[in-house]
Amino acid sequence: MVVEALSVLRNLPARKKEEQAEPSILLGGSRDLGLDTLKLAQDIYDQFTADPRYKEYVLGCLNCGECTTGCPAARFYDFSPREMLQVAMSNDPLVLLNAMHEKIWACCQCYTCNMRCRFGNDIAGIISVMRELAVKNGLDSAKEVLRPYTRILLKVMTGGTQVSPDMIQPDFFVDWGPDAVSKASDLKTLRKAIPIDVLQVTDSAWEVSMQTSLELFQIYQESGVIDIVRAVDPDLVEMITDIVDEWREEFEEMKEKYGVR
Amino acid sequence: MSSPRILVVGGGPAGLSAACDLAEAGANVVLVEEEGFLGGTPKKLHYSLIAPDLKPVQEVLDPLVRRVEQSGVEVMLNSEVASFKGSGDGFHVEVRRKGGPLESHVFDSVIAATGFAHWDPHKKYEYGYGVYPDVLDFKDFERMLSEDNLRRPSNGETPKRIAWLLCVGSRDKQVGKFYCCRMGCVVSIKQAMEVRQKHPEIDTYVYYMDIRTYGFWEDKVYWRSMEEFNVKFVRGRIGSINRGEDGRLVAMAEDTILQRPTEVPFDMLVLATGMEASRGTVEFAKLAGLELEEHGFIKPLQSDSLPVHTTVEGIFVAGTATGPKAIPDSVSEGSAAAMKALNFARRKAVAERQQTR
Ligand SMILES: Cc1cc2nc3c(=O)[nH]c(=O)nc-3n(C[C@H](O)[C@H](O)[C@H](O)COP(=O)(O)OP(=O)(O)OC[C@H]3O[C@@H](n4cnc5c(N)ncnc54)[C@H](O)[C@@H]3O)c2cc1C
Ligand code: SF4
Ligand code: SF4
Ligand code: SF4
Repeated sequence: MVVEALSVLRNLPARKKEEQAEPSILLGGSRDLGLDTLKLAQDIYDQFTADPRYKEYVLGCLNCGECTTGCPAARFYDFSPREMLQVAMSNDPLVLLNAMHEKIWACCQCYTCNMRCRFGNDIAGIISVMRELAVKNGLDSAKEVLRPYTRILLKVMTGGTQVSPDMIQPDFFVDWGPDAVSKASDLKTLRKAIPIDVLQVTDSAWEVSMQTSLELFQIYQESGVIDIVRAVDPDLVEMITDIVDEWREEFEEMKEKYGVR
Repeated sequence: MSSPRILVVGGGPAGLSAACDLAEAGANVVLVEEEGFLGGTPKKLHYSLIAPDLKPVQEVLDPLVRRVEQSGVEVMLNSEVASFKGSGDGFHVEVRRKGGPLESHVFDSVIAATGFAHWDPHKKYEYGYGVYPDVLDFKDFERMLSEDNLRRPSNGETPKRIAWLLCVGSRDKQVGKFYCCRMGCVVSIKQAMEVRQKHPEIDTYVYYMDIRTYGFWEDKVYWRSMEEFNVKFVRGRIGSINRGEDGRLVAMAEDTILQRPTEVPFDMLVLATGMEASRGTVEFAKLAGLELEEHGFIKPLQSDSLPVHTTVEGIFVAGTATGPKAIPDSVSEGSAAAMKALNFARRKAVAERQQTR
């Protein structure tokens, strides 16, 4: 069964067994980004090759295809880790940018390709570097891919690293399959059915102390995470900042009230 | 001046060639072979036809063995070098015949022709060797061909479709084998030709990332396999083997020309297992104090201009003990090492005479 997946991947032609795939690397064509595409491509290319991981992860390639044979994403999309490695080695900013628009998001970071690669490339790693750059540079594809994660990010960034039942949103995570959709329909009842002592709520997994949340936020801010998220979702950052500001006020009041400094 | 005394260790193509050339040039030669027969790995593992001319292995090697037997070489079968010491007056060597007493010899020079071994494909578990009975390696399949017994080990039936996977245990950082085995391509293609010659109804597919049939092997083997035998080539590697519902093997590969992953059922898979230094090569090198090079073979003094000298004066090396190569190259190196060993022994004899004058 082929499940429908993230919307950005819908743009990728699905694999057809009988049909010869298009020539790989120059697929897609540039989208109008409202920016000078060439300049953006060159910028990203420079960041990419300057990343210390680039030299460490990309060693060379025998074009043997063993990485692709174990790749789950290659079964469903016109995508292959071999192609991504070739893209990484291509010395062509436009080729890199093209791959970053769509293909890099097909990978599910399972690392099978790395296990297979006889040349010792870190293919999954270099794909994740490309993704980081797509996010940092606010590419449309990154925005689109990360949209379903807005609520998750909101929760994680305001409530510590936790997964709560209401994060399951069948509209966004169609690739979780029909089971997830039915499970998401009556969270309250299902939650009650768990025979251990859990919080009987669906919007959090545990209570997080205000102080912890404030400290976490500070870490996100100082480590640059907030800037990264802002590049793809400025509204989310605004929302989080509002919440945290409120908490900070409340927290200060509490400290005053109890004479803590 | 008495004849030079020279030890040859290993009775494969290289050692045979060295031993008979030396004996024919008048040296006293002892040939030590750990197996009970001469002919080396091709004989031991029952190779079938020999590339590029597809001659039976006996036709290629038996004349060499006969020459050794007729030229007065002292052949010690089932024997091993038990101790080895070099000093001013020569190499003091103790040889033990299986179950027999130690025999002491002194030699003026020595040739190591201790050969190669097949890489063990169990180490690459994705390819299913040792898991699926229909996955074979080179030695299994050569034997099958030489015994004219082409059947699927799983059920005894004649296969309909056979695949070869090149570079198994070669050109692979994952298993620490960085080099090319030089023989895998030509041997796989020759095996496919043999299959098609005897059983034209069987389809044969070779999965490759490069075809390295260098020199005359290109037209004599690679091209001919397509032109006359309709052997098929797929550019891409099989990355793993699964079992299909009908008990056949399912090869998961990327066809890198069509650029898509494929799953193709086969009745048999032959792994083109690479060459590594034989246990005997490594052990003899240790015993004689020979340096190994980075791939684990015996290190030539200079890989370019002194290929049959070792790092120890008076000890020479020939054949696959220094790296993968074919029979004619091994035979030539045997002759080259014979010349060097003879010269060394003669020079030594001259020096000795001058000293005692
Ligand atoms: C599957 C396969 C098929 C091949 N087919 C062809 C072909 O078609 N055409 C071609 O040209 N080449 C072919 N080759 C290559 C060929 O087998 C080698 O080139 C050749 O065997 C090398 O000869 P050698 O004497 O160096 O080593 P070997 O043949 O390995 O002989 C070494 C000998 O030394 C003995 N020995 C080792 N250590 C000791 C010790 N310490 N003491 C005593 N004895 C010892 C061993 O028992 C052995 O008899 C093939 C190789 C493979 C892997
Ligand atoms: S890590 Fe990505 S590219 Fe590599 S095998 Fe998994 S899905 Fe494919
Ligand atoms: S497995 Fe490694 S060497 Fe082979 S095609 Fe993939 S990246 Fe290239
Ligand atoms: S000779 Fe052929 S099979 Fe052997 S390692 Fe080289 S390319 Fe691979």
